[in-house]
Amino acid sequence: MAVVTRAWNRLTIPGRVLLGLILLGGLLTAALIPLIVFAPQILDILGANLPIVRFVVAATAVLLMTIPTAFLIIYMEMKIIALMNLRVGPDRVGPFGSLLSVVHGLKVLMKEDFTPTGADSTVFTLAPAVTYLAPVMALLVIPFAPGLFGVEMNIGLLYLFAVAGLSVVGLLMGGWSSFNKYSLLGGLRAAAQVVSYEIPLVLSVVGVIMLAGTMNLVDIVENQSGWFINWYVWQQPLAFVVFFIAATAEANRTPFDLTEADSEIVAGFATEYSGMRFGFFFFAEYVGVFVVSALAVTVFFGGWNAPFPFPAIDLALDPGSLGIGLLILIAVVPLVGTLVFAAPFYLMRSSMPAWQAIVIGFVLFNIVAVAAVLGWAFVSLAWVAGLAWFMLKTYAFVFVFVWMRGTLPRVRIDQLMNFAWKWLMELAFLNIFITAGAIILISELRR
Amino acid sequence: MSFIPGLGVVKGMATTLRRFFEPKATIRYPEVPADVATRFRGRLQLLYDEYGTLKCETCFQCAQACPIECIDMGGIDTRGRYHVHWGPPETYGERRDESALRRSGRTVPDEAYAHFDPVDLTAVDAILDEVDHDPKAMLRILEAVQATYGYLPISALKHISFRTGAYYALIYGTASYYRHLRFEPPSDVVQAQAVDTSRPDETAYLTLLGAALEGRGAPAGPVH
Repeated sequence: MAVVTRAWNRLTIPGRVLLGLILLGGLLTAALIPLIVFAPQILDILGANLPIVRFVVAATAVLLMTIPTAFLIIYMEMKIIALMNLRVGPDRVGPFGSLLSVVHGLKVLMKEDFTPTGADSTVFTLAPAVTYLAPVMALLVIPFAPGLFGVEMNIGLLYLFAVAGLSVVGLLMGGWSSFNKYSLLGGLRAAAQVVSYEIPLVLSVVGVIMLAGTMNLVDIVENQSGWFINWYVWQQPLAFVVFFIAATAEANRTPFDLTEADSEIVAGFATEYSGMRFGFFFFAEYVGVFVVSALAVTVFFGGWNAPFPFPAIDLALDPGSLGIGLLILIAVVPLVGTLVFAAPFYLMRSSMPAWQAIVIGFVLFNIVAVAAVLGWAFVSLAWVAGLAWFMLKTYAFVFVFVWMRGTLPRVRIDQLMNFAWKWLMELAFLNIFITAGAIILISELRR
Repeated sequence: MSFIPGLGVVKGMATTLRRFFEPKATIRYPEVPADVATRFRGRLQLLYDEYGTLKCETCFQCAQACPIECIDMGGIDTRGRYHVHWGPPETYGERRDESALRRSGRTVPDEAYAHFDPVDLTAVDAILDEVDHDPKAMLRILEAVQATYGYLPISALKHISFRTGAYYALIYGTASYYRHLRFEPPSDVVQAQAVDTSRPDETAYLTLLGAALEGRGAPAGPVH
């Protein structure tokens, strides 16, 4: 052992890194051997438990998806609000400052993780995780594209509301365990708000459930296929308005962001939090925005459906049929493409050196090639097109949420409560009655 | 109050959306320099040090370099002894003449402050005639002036500058470099005798230097 220690101490730092990488590679290769040897058995076991495998894969994917999503929404928020304030906003880190939220994430990771004396450290630690996991679990049932969803539940909508509502437990846990009366008040205030707005939020989609006859989100989306006239927002405008307002409050967004009103109370329930735990609350908020936008799109705006029946273009591309020619094509096309795109620049401007023209040609070729591949995928793969439409609509909603944050001032707590109980809930009930009456009327007329 | 609920919200949202597309107010300073006139040199002001005294040493370099001759300096020098002035006099006609003068790099005779330092300068003119107004003979001129007046009056220095065309700063620098030249008359006989008014032997230190360089002999001294 001493020999190993001495040898290790003699290594330079690059040497240590290299040795570590080599050892890691060896270990992984060694682990690969039993995997290959027992591949049939492993595949059998996986195949026998396909739903579990699918669930694990979906959960992992969704969990991984939330991080770039949150980063993107945080960046959007910083940039869009800045542009609306006639500022430039982040523009230092990365292209147009787009990596600033990543840097924020790193900063939050490096900060001290502080637990106040007297706090219930278990609950205190769990609270951010609970708050964060609630929207992540809700993402599981959201249908992103045909065939691209975690679980297809026949009570998907109910599950989504139930799980998304769990985030209030995290807020309450955080407020309660902080050993700080102001945090506790903030947590209770957050709970009061979120619970109040839960009711009109759920009631507002009842009309859609009645029309669709199902709570399965995939079925709801498929019911809205075809022209954009089929979207439920045209049949349920009142429900959409109620849903949107309640969802804003549910996601703790301005003008209903009283749970942590940055400029008024310190941070509400999150006063005692620091470092990555605090960051988790914020991640939860932005994932929540994404979930709420995705839900609005799914229920009211046709989900993955294009606003018009997309003309079916059949691109019968079968690269496999080329055989060995495909390999040659892969080798030749980038070279030829680069030269073809470089030629005009080189010929048009005598002052341009050849290497510059080739760099320009390479970049242009890559842009065109990526665009061509994406276009091909959009046309011929249903899930790519669906995902594109879904994300487009969802981020349009995210933009609206950010836009609202850039515009509207915060409401008072009593106005908030009055609005929920005296207006939104009544409107939601009214919408249910009107929808029910209309359904009965139409079915009577059809008879 | 409008009768349509939510109209105010919509109006506000429209406002922010318009702002979204408007040109931004931010000035990206290091990348985009501020839009000022090319001849703008900032605001002229005198700075004070941490003790509250003026940092200005009355070196006149700012006034000398000022391209449009807007810097006008006058007052007591840092040791509170001499009244000095550099700058446009009060009347425009003089100013125009002197503007041409000053562009030639000469010191401007300053009538406005002449009475502070009343010295008869005809002797200076005689000395300058002897050396043919040659500024290269500055040390000789200064020594002759000191021999005449017993010290170097500031007005005499300015007069030398005016006549020879040498910068006042150069003359002042020369005069203040040599210990045997002085700017004020000796206050009494004892002081007058104590101070050696003859030019120190400049080859002395060269001899010392030669000795320090292990007897290589004294290099040739400067010629005056």
